Amino acid sequence: MESTTIAGDRCSDPASLFAMLMEQHKGIIYKITNAYCQQQDDRQDLAQEILTTLWLAFSKYDSDFKFSTWMYRVALNVAISYYRKGQRRVDHIGSVNDDSIINMADLNEDQQQSDTITQLYQFIGELDKLNKAIILLYLEDESYQSIATSLGMSKTNVATRINRIKAKLQQKFNQQEQ
Amino acid sequence: MDLDNLKNSWQQQPNNEAAMKITPSVLTTIKVTQQQLTLNKMKLARLVEGIIFGLIVIMLSQYIVNSFSVSLTAPLLSAGILTIFALIGLAGNIGQLVLMDNVDYSLPIKRVQKDIYLIFAHKLQLTKLLLCSAPFYMAYVFLGFELLVGVDLYPYLSTTMISFYTISSVAMLLVTLWFINKVHYKNINKPWVKKVMQLIIGEKILCMAQFVNSMEAN
Repeated sequence: MESTTIAGDRCSDPASLFAMLMEQHKGIIYKITNAYCQQQDDRQDLAQEILTTLWLAFSKYDSDFKFSTWMYRVALNVAISYYRKGQRRVDHIGSVNDDSIINMADLNEDQQQSDTITQLYQFIGELDKLNKAIILLYLEDESYQSIATSLGMSKTNVATRINRIKAKLQQKFNQQEQ
Repeated sequence: MDLDNLKNSWQQQPNNEAAMKITPSVLTTIKVTQQQLTLNKMKLARLVEGIIFGLIVIMLSQYIVNSFSVSLTAPLLSAGILTIFALIGLAGNIGQLVLMDNVDYSLPIKRVQKDIYLIFAHKLQLTKLLLCSAPFYMAYVFLGFELLVGVDLYPYLSTTMISFYTISSVAMLLVTLWFINKVHYKNINKPWVKKVMQLIIGEKILCMAQFVNSMEAN
């Protein structure tokens, strides 16, 4: 259904189509940046890098595949290879201000975010890069097979890892409640 | 707290407009990402390296053609050995340029991350190539003497010295091959391998190596 809509909209202006899709799926960028970065500056930088990578790769998007799956793969690949050390960079797009391509509110200052979700981000933040990717896809209700394909791992390994991560997060929540 | 019960509220994020705003009008001005900027600089570096290797290959080939005779001399053999190393370096650089042009972020994470690691870990490959040529140090000496002084050093060496150089080269070759084989992301859990790799490729690429290793270990 989703792919048909995108294929149908291909003839329209690519920038408008991309903007519309980003508005629909911006949650993916929001969740990945909050899971992979602890600092607000890093989140902003990573979100910008993800969005620009998505935009530049958009022409190669194959509408036979689900857009959200494609977007997750690109965004996760950027997030995993993202590394910043030292001072915040100032790039050609500009710093975090009104002319930035993307502006994210600080997760810790988001009043409307439930405490449980904020806590879940904190626990996910403590996982390694691979487990973060697995749990993010799992929380999106992706099947084990789909997660395995996106990662390039076997379904059995994904299932084993998910069980371990779930147990670990469960334990952390229980400790928090005590 | 069951994680499965959180799925619904997780998927609703961001749950308010202010949490994340995208300004699509800026999009059309974007031509390159930060990582692409880095890759472009690396492409230029690989291109320069490739030209240097190419020039070395041309010069050594010219020397071989010009000095070729019925008998095989030590400088001629040395030039042949060094040409092979220069060709490996050239092929490696061409491979790197091809790899850089083919990074597709929509492919499975394991493959993309390995490709990115291989691109960024070029310094490690170059170091390995240089180390590989170290046991053939006499090739540099023979060729150097021939080119600078015009003397073939080999006939002036005693049997004892030839034996010494041969044994030391074979010993060095064995140690180098063992070392090169060990210094690989698959052995990154060994502290000394990790330290050596960190020294050569730095912290950022070491993180990539650790990630690739953790994915391949599954």
